[in-house]
Amino acid sequence: MKTLKFIVIVILFCPLFSYSQAIFIESGKIEFEKKVNLLNQIKSEMDNDRDKTWFEMIRKMIPSENISYFDLTFNKGATLYKPGKEYTNSPKPPAWTVGPATENIVYSNYNTQEQVSEKEVFENTFLMKDSIHPVEWKMMNETRNIAGFTCRKAVAKVLDSVYVIAFFTEQIVVTGGPESFGGLPGMILGLAIPKLHTTWYATKVEMKPIKEAEIVAPKKGKKYNFIQLKEQLKQSLKDWGKEGGRNLLQALI
Amino acid sequence: MHIANKSVLVITDKFYTKFLNKYKSIIFILLLFQGMSSFAQQSKLEGNVSDTGNKQPLFNATICLLRQKDSVLTRFIRSDHNGNFTINNIAEGDYVLQVYYPSFADFSDKISLNASSPPFKIALRAKSTLLADITLVSKLAAIRLKGDTLEYKADSFKLKDGAMVEDLLKRLPGIQVDKDGKITAMGESVQKVLVDGEEFFGDDPTIATKNIQADAIDKVQVFDKKSDQATFTGIDDGVKNKTINLKLKDDKKKGYFGKLELGGGTDDKWSNSLMLNKFKGKSKFSGYGIMSSTGKTGLNWKENGQYGETKNLDYNEDYGYFYSDYEHDDFGGSNYDGEGLPRNWAAGVNYSRKWDDDKQNINGCYLYKKLLTESNSNTYTKYIVDTNSTLNTYENKTTFNNRSRNSLNATYDWMIDSSVSIKLTAKGYADNNESNTSYNKNITNQLNQQVTQSKRTNNINGTSDNYKSSLLIKKKFKKQGRTISFNLDIAGNNTASDNYLYEHDTYYLPTTNDSITDQLKNNHTTTQIITGKIVYTEPLIKKVFMELNYSMNENKNNSEIKSFDKGASGKYDNENSLYSNHYQFDVFTNSGGVTLKYSGKKTSFYFGSNIANTHFTQEDLVTTNTTERYYFNLFPKAGFSHKFSQFKGININYNGSTKQPTITQIQPLRNNNDQLTIMIGNPLLQQEFKHNINLNYNSYKVMSESNIYLYSGGTITSNAIVTNNTTLVDSGKTTIQYTNVNGNYNAYGGMGYYCKIKKLDIRCSSGIDFNASRYISFVNSKKNITDNYTPGLRLWIGKEKEKKYNISYGCRLNYNISASSLQPGINNNYWTQVHNFDMNITLPWKLEINQEIEYTIRQKTALYNKNNNVVLWNAYIGRKILKDNKGMIKLSANDLLNQNIGYNRYVNNSTITENNYQTIARYFQVSFLWNFSKTPGSK
Repeated sequence: MKTLKFIVIVILFCPLFSYSQAIFIESGKIEFEKKVNLLNQIKSEMDNDRDKTWFEMIRKMIPSENISYFDLTFNKGATLYKPGKEYTNSPKPPAWTVGPATENIVYSNYNTQEQVSEKEVFENTFLMKDSIHPVEWKMMNETRNIAGFTCRKAVAKVLDSVYVIAFFTEQIVVTGGPESFGGLPGMILGLAIPKLHTTWYATKVEMKPIKEAEIVAPKKGKKYNFIQLKEQLKQSLKDWGKEGGRNLLQALI
Repeated sequence: MHIANKSVLVITDKFYTKFLNKYKSIIFILLLFQGMSSFAQQSKLEGNVSDTGNKQPLFNATICLLRQKDSVLTRFIRSDHNGNFTINNIAEGDYVLQVYYPSFADFSDKISLNASSPPFKIALRAKSTLLADITLVSKLAAIRLKGDTLEYKADSFKLKDGAMVEDLLKRLPGIQVDKDGKITAMGESVQKVLVDGEEFFGDDPTIATKNIQADAIDKVQVFDKKSDQATFTGIDDGVKNKTINLKLKDDKKKGYFGKLELGGGTDDKWSNSLMLNKFKGKSKFSGYGIMSSTGKTGLNWKENGQYGETKNLDYNEDYGYFYSDYEHDDFGGSNYDGEGLPRNWAAGVNYSRKWDDDKQNINGCYLYKKLLTESNSNTYTKYIVDTNSTLNTYENKTTFNNRSRNSLNATYDWMIDSSVSIKLTAKGYADNNESNTSYNKNITNQLNQQVTQSKRTNNINGTSDNYKSSLLIKKKFKKQGRTISFNLDIAGNNTASDNYLYEHDTYYLPTTNDSITDQLKNNHTTTQIITGKIVYTEPLIKKVFMELNYSMNENKNNSEIKSFDKGASGKYDNENSLYSNHYQFDVFTNSGGVTLKYSGKKTSFYFGSNIANTHFTQEDLVTTNTTERYYFNLFPKAGFSHKFSQFKGININYNGSTKQPTITQIQPLRNNNDQLTIMIGNPLLQQEFKHNINLNYNSYKVMSESNIYLYSGGTITSNAIVTNNTTLVDSGKTTIQYTNVNGNYNAYGGMGYYCKIKKLDIRCSSGIDFNASRYISFVNSKKNITDNYTPGLRLWIGKEKEKKYNISYGCRLNYNISASSLQPGINNNYWTQVHNFDMNITLPWKLEINQEIEYTIRQKTALYNKNNNVVLWNAYIGRKILKDNKGMIKLSANDLLNQNIGYNRYVNNSTITENNYQTIARYFQVSFLWNFSKTPGSK
């Protein structure tokens, strides 16, 4: 099932009518498809020609992409991002290409500007509590249709040097997005982090009322704030070379 | 970010101004702490959004305020029900005001905000009323696309021969190159030049542009950092600056790497090798040559991946590792086992090429090896003959061995489409073996009386040819999990040898008498194997698969051995029928089975069985006596695995398997290569059946860098093929025949722990293991049960500081317990200890010191009464030379204390053996090492 099946419930809300008032979405559920381009990821972590010989040997045996799904439940004040439907990649990607923090649960509260994330980083479960990090988004004059919504492009640099591309729609009034990303005048439906060879694209958007009780912060894990987690991970992953850099980034976004 | 700060400091604009004038200096200091961006006049943005068409206010329109200089989003808000909006506390300055509303054309305007800015009245126009503007919008979009990748096709710019990339870049519109080679693209300085998306040349872009020929370039791509091209090409775009990517033409992707080692030393020691890997586009050539008298006979594991045959790997997706099938090769990868003094020559070439979009791949490999070994060894053996009698044997053996092999391998892969693939492999080798061995044997009994003295020479000259070819066709169907594969293997082996045996035995009991054997033996063995197998898998329900398989296997063996006694004429022309035989042994197997497999995200298991019908046909071609036997076997198998997390899991497997007797074990021939040890095949031998079980548990903690593992397993064999020895006490002559017995088993288990003490940056590991086995055999018709138990303990500790030092200590302790039921009184239990101390230190002036000390202690026993403790100390000092430290001059010493001895102890069946052999001892060597490489694209 490689081709995306967009389930477009959205057509209803699409601006085909002549009334001036469009419909805006304040609560609902979005399914994101997360894709990691494994071949490019491995390639970028190779150090020399000798590694390339090895890469040539394994490239046909491993899946070129690692696909997983996430659900983002949102209402006006908060979002909850968590692993969605189960998907088995065939063949399964080797563990060392997958790395940590691939099943994050992220709770963002836009009233209190607070974020709580549960991240499984190898054998540890961390509960990161911190204020929502401001991101300097640069607005671009480009649009793209994602899951039936016209999305605008914005780019930003996070964690000093990591380039992020987001596509958001103003038709969803919540300023959230996948993982910890948000802060745009609308919902992020498409996100790309070239350094991680990873993209998140919405495949399904449902407009429905969401009860407060459905959006609750995760509770499991050792409590850390962002700086503490960063220092802890840096310490643990410092001997890992390029793979460590990727793992660190994966755990921090 | 600063919003919170501002709202605390600044209440209203008016208040702010007043306040600021009054306490300017204090505020200034305060603001220094708050961040400079607060130090600006504050203003607010207010306005109203409406629809021009029907003059309705627009609710929920998005109002964004971007910084004019870099389009960074500073603030945003939605309009209320009346279309009104207000954003307070905005620093004065130049902004871009953008207003969006679904299906309306965007509003975008440059504005300057100050304390007295008036409200903005924004009227949006529905896109449906803007037909004429649509073309304009798309035109504008095209201009805006300048932010995306610019791609130039290199061939469309004519250049003079030998032009470099720099010359090409100068010709490209929008790109400038100054006299220092600095590149500017679209007015921005280019900081990075990639070659095929890879950063080969570090951070200096001129290295790439001045050294790559322009005609090697297919395309020049200029990335703007605003481009999302990176997302789809995967090229790292996390850099701030403009980047140029040079896409090479396929046939220009060439380069090489390799290493050279030259070494010469004392005691006629030399070790020279050259290895090279050269690639060009989609083809790769690698080759190596080795000549050595220090025991390096082939490529090590790492070298094999780079310079050896391109091996095909398989991928185990359940556990996420890659493996390649190890094929047992008696000439072996390292093939020198430490016994004797070796001299060897080896060479290999390998070529591989891919084409048709990498769908077709061919690989060929030729290898030549020659190994000469001289060795001398002494063996002491105690034979348990009966409950109250033993024999002691002392044997001295001198051997000269000359082996050579020519081998040729080829594989061809074709991915016809995404569902069908074909793989063809063919490999073969031809061996020549020559060995001259002489033995001196002395046998005494437990009363220390001399029983027998034997002098023997075996001169063997032989050849062996081996081939194997296989065809594998795999097809995946559209339905996920439905596959079919077909496999056909054809293999064969043909060996022939001439063996001259001369043996002079003197028996002393009861009176002295001599016996001389002088024979020539012609041995000729052929084996042919054909196997066909079909496997079909079908998904039954979600996560449950069924696998059906059917296979046929035909294994034909023919063995002809003729022994000739030396006749009166001096020629070997009297055939000795006692030691001659011609035998045919065929095994035909039909096997079919079914396996059910459940494959979940965390838990998987499988179970199933094959049913096989095996048909033995044994024919004595001399007597034409034929026997046929049929076996009907069930081969059950089952397994379970569970992953608690990504790095923690357990698995258990069971299977049943059979093992057929070899033709040597079954052929009714008296083999008298040693007159004192005669082997007789047993045509009545049954096949073995083995139950194998194993368990593994592994838990790896990545962040704390610790690992716990546990493993255990065992095999119970029914109808085990064992020896039945008949030893004559008064001559020491032993006749060995094979027979079947029940009750043999072996079991193993162990666990280990690895961890890192973070504070001290020390790594340590420890482990225990245990082996137990029971071997039942027959000695002079009496059952002898030999039990062996070996518990062991190992510890290791090490500290490493990269590029400074690496130091470690490890030890291994084993206690060896063995007991024989025939003579329970013999106590031959002993300790062995091995201590290793390794150290590598990097010194100033590019010097490096390395040493490895291995101290082996073997406890003496009543039987093993010699001192066999050895300190083996190897060391070298080296100095790095050449550019980038790619070369090294090394002075090394092997076995500094000259203590190395080859030594083995073993207890099995009814014998206790101790063996000493000649091996490589002290020598000093000077060597030169050089790693060389040329990266793709460079001149």
